[in-house]
Amino acid sequence: MRGVARSWHRYRRQNRFLVGLYLLLLALVGCGFWLFARMRGLPPEELTNRLLTFLLWWFDLTLIGILLFILARNFVKLLLERHRGMLGSRFRTKLLLSYLALILVPTGLLFALSVSLLSQASASWFTAPVEDMARTGAALAEEVRQESEARVGRAAATVAAELARVPRDELRLGELERLHGLLGLDFTGWFRNGAAVVELLDPRQRASLRLPPLDLAALGSSGVRSERGGGTVVVRAWETLPDGTAVVVGEVLPPALITRQARLATASVAYERLKLERPTITATTVLGFGALALLVVFAAIWLGLYLSRSFTEPLLALVATTDRIAAGDTLEEVPLPAEDEVGLLVGSFNSMVRRVRTREEELRSAVRRLDTVLGAVRTGVLTIDAGRQAASGNPAAAALLAVPQLAAQEVPLEVLSEAGHSRLVDMVRGATGPVRGPLTIQPGGVSRFLEVAVVPLGAAEAPAGWVVALEDLTPLMRAQRLAAWSEVARRLAHQIKNPLTPIRLAADRLARHAERGAADLAEVVAQGSRAIGGHVQTMQEMVDAFSRYAKLPPMARRPADLGELIASVVALYQDVRPGLRIGVKEAPAEEPALVDPEQIRQVLVNLLDNAVEASPPEGAIDVTLRREAGETVIEIADQGPGLEGADSDLLFQPFYSTKGRGSGVGLALVLRIVTDHGGTVRLEPNTPRGVRAVVRLPASEGPVDRR
Amino acid sequence: MRLAVLLLAAAIGPELDVQLAPAPARLSVQFEVRGDLPAEWREALEAGAPVEITYRVRVYRNRRWLWDHRLASHELMVKAQRDPLTGSFTVVSELDEEILASGQAASTDEAIRWVTHPPVAEIQVPLRHEPLWLVTRAEFLNRFKLLVIPSTVGTDWVTLAVPGSP
Repeated sequence: MRGVARSWHRYRRQNRFLVGLYLLLLALVGCGFWLFARMRGLPPEELTNRLLTFLLWWFDLTLIGILLFILARNFVKLLLERHRGMLGSRFRTKLLLSYLALILVPTGLLFALSVSLLSQASASWFTAPVEDMARTGAALAEEVRQESEARVGRAAATVAAELARVPRDELRLGELERLHGLLGLDFTGWFRNGAAVVELLDPRQRASLRLPPLDLAALGSSGVRSERGGGTVVVRAWETLPDGTAVVVGEVLPPALITRQARLATASVAYERLKLERPTITATTVLGFGALALLVVFAAIWLGLYLSRSFTEPLLALVATTDRIAAGDTLEEVPLPAEDEVGLLVGSFNSMVRRVRTREEELRSAVRRLDTVLGAVRTGVLTIDAGRQAASGNPAAAALLAVPQLAAQEVPLEVLSEAGHSRLVDMVRGATGPVRGPLTIQPGGVSRFLEVAVVPLGAAEAPAGWVVALEDLTPLMRAQRLAAWSEVARRLAHQIKNPLTPIRLAADRLARHAERGAADLAEVVAQGSRAIGGHVQTMQEMVDAFSRYAKLPPMARRPADLGELIASVVALYQDVRPGLRIGVKEAPAEEPALVDPEQIRQVLVNLLDNAVEASPPEGAIDVTLRREAGETVIEIADQGPGLEGADSDLLFQPFYSTKGRGSGVGLALVLRIVTDHGGTVRLEPNTPRGVRAVVRLPASEGPVDRR
Repeated sequence: MRLAVLLLAAAIGPELDVQLAPAPARLSVQFEVRGDLPAEWREALEAGAPVEITYRVRVYRNRRWLWDHRLASHELMVKAQRDPLTGSFTVVSELDEEILASGQAASTDEAIRWVTHPPVAEIQVPLRHEPLWLVTRAEFLNRFKLLVIPSTVGTDWVTLAVPGSP
C-alpha cells in the first residue's frame, strides 16, 4: 500500500501518467457499460449505438472538462501573476488569448458548418420522394397480398355456394373437384366438424401447403389468412356452408413475386428503422465531430501553452537572472537550455556573463593590486562619493588623519570634520574641479603639513566621485627647513665674513696707527671709519633683505587685469637705461587673474630688474602675456649673456647670486610669490640669446577689480 | 381551433393507468396506456419496423433523511412487429427479459391494443415493515434534444402506494 502511495506521489504530475489513467478509466467504464447493456440483451445494433454514443459523450465531456480545467487554471494563474506584477504574465496572457481566438473561432465555425452540413445531409436521406418510394413499394406488396386474399376469399365463397346447391356428398366431391380445377386453386378442402372430408392439392405446391390446419371452430364463419410456408406465402380462405361443413381454399403465391415483395418490404422496414435511428445517428455524428473539434482545440491549446511556456520560460529566466544581477547578486548564467532565437539570446547573455566575470576578476585583481599599492604607499588617498557625503581611504590616509575607521569602511565627512579636519572637508566640498593646495592639520596635537590634491573622477561637470591625495610634507619640510637654515647660516656666515675681514683689517690698521701715534691717525681713522661704515651698511642691507624675505605680507587676492598690471610696470622701466628698449610684445586686451596685484608687481619688478641688469647697452627686453592651456603665461625675455651653465633651480634659492653683489633674494621672492599663487616660474634660455623668465599662473574668467 | 386541439393533445400526450392487486409476496401490475401513441412510433409499426413499449417499474421505500431507497426494479417490455408479407403482427411481452406472453394480431389497432394493454405482470415485492411506493412509467422512443442530449419519449412517472404494505 505504501508503495502504491509512493508511486502515486511520484507519477501523479506526469502527463503520460494522467493520460494513461484517463484511458484506463475510459476503458473500464466502457467495458462496464458494455457488460451492463449486454446483460440486458439489447440487439447488437442498439448496443453498438448506445455504446458509441456513451463513449462519445464520455470523451466529449471529459475533453470539455479538461479544457475548462486547463483554461481556468491557466487564466487564474495568469491573473494572479498579473496581480502580483510578475514579469512575462502580460505577454503570456496575450499569447494565450491569441491562441484561443485563433483556435476557437475557426474550429467553432468549422464545427457549426459541419453540423449544419450533416443536418442537411441527414435530412436529404429522408426526403419525401425516397419515403414515398419506400412506402409505395410497401403498399404495392400489401395490395398484391390483399388482392390475393380477395381472390382466394371469393373463390372460397364461390365453392361454398356451389357446394350448397349439391344435396349429396358423392356429388359434392365431384363438384369440388370440378371447381378446384375450374378456379385454378392450389388447395381445396371440405371439412366437417374440423376434419377433412376431402382435400385436393396441387402436387407442385405440396411442400408449401404443409401448414397446420385451421382451427375452424375457433374462427368465424368465413375469413382469409396469409401465412408463410415453404419459402413463400400461402393465402387460405374459409367459408362455412349452411349444413355446418366448411370449405377451405388456398393459393400459393409465386415465390418470385414473394421474393420481390420481401425485398420491397425489407427496404421499407430498413428505411423505417433508419428513420427511427436518425436522431441517434445525428447525435453520434455530431458528438464525433464535437470530439474531433475538441481534440483539435485541446491539442492546439496544449501546444499553445507549451509553446508560450517554452518561449517565455527562457526569457523569464533571463529576466530573473538580470534582475538578480541588478539587485547585486553574483553574476550567473541562465541555466535553462533553449535552441531557437531565444536560445541564441540566452547564449549571448551567458557569453556576456562569462566575459563580464572575466573582466570582473581582472578588475578585482587590479583593485587588489591597487589596494596593495595604496596600502603600501605613504601618500594618503581618500575616495569621496559623488554627493561628497562619505569617504573611505587607504591606511596611510587613516593614519595621517588619525581616523582609523577610514581604512575599514566608508565614514561620513562629518566624522572627518569632528576629527578636526573641517578645512579638508571644506576643501573637498568646495572643489569645482582639480584643486591642489597646502593644508596643515593637527591630529593628536601634532602639526602636519600636507599637500592636498582634490581630483574629480570622470568629467568635472558631473563627477562620479572624488579622489583626494594627501601628501605628508612634514618630514620633507622639516628637512628642507633644516637645509634652508643650514644654507641661510652658511650664506649669512659667508655674507657676514666678507665685510668682517675688511672691518677687522680696518680696525687693526686703526689700532696700529693709534699705538704708534701716527701723524695721519686722523686720516686713517676717517678712512677706517668709512670702510667699516660701508661694510656695516652692506650688512645692514643684507639684514633688511633677509627681513623682507622673511616678512612677506599675507597674500590678498583679488581679480585683476594682468595686462594692465604689466603695462604699468613696464612703463616705469622706460628710459631706465639709455639704449635699452623695454616693451610689451604681445598681450591681450584684458587678462583677468585672481592674484595679489602688489605681489605680482613685485615679481615683475624683480624679473625686470634682473633682465635690465643682464641686458647689453643696446639690448631689448620683451614682455609677453598670453593664455595657454588654462594658464596665464608671462614671459620676460632679455638678450643678456644667458644662464651660462648656472643651475636655474639654485638661482631661485635665497641668498644665491651669480652676480657677486646683491642680496640674492630677488628670485627667491619671485618663486615664493608665484608658488603661493598656485603657479610656477622657471628660467629658460632665450633665442638667440639671453634668458627668458616664464611665469605660469592659474587663469581666471571672473570680472576684474580695477581698484 | 383544430390546431389548438392538436397542440393540446400533443402537449398532454399518452397517460399511463396502473392497477395494482396484492398477492402474497407478489404484486400484480396491470398497465394501460391511454391516448395516442407517438405518430412516428405508429408509423414505424405499420411500416414493419420493430417497436416496443417499455414499462419501467421501481419499488421504493421512503427514507427521511436520505434519498428514497430503491428496493426493486423491473422492466416489462412489449414488442410488436408487423410482417409486411402476411400483414400480421407478432407481439411479445417480456418481464425482466423472461417471455411473459406472445401472440399474433391481425391489424394495427389490435397490435396497438396489445402493447398498450400488456398482460398482467407479477413482480416480487420485498417484505418490509414500512410503506412502499411503486413508481412506473411507459417509454416509447429514445430521442435527442438539441441534437446530442439523450431523452426518452414516454408517459410521466406514476407513483402509487403498494397495497398490502403497512
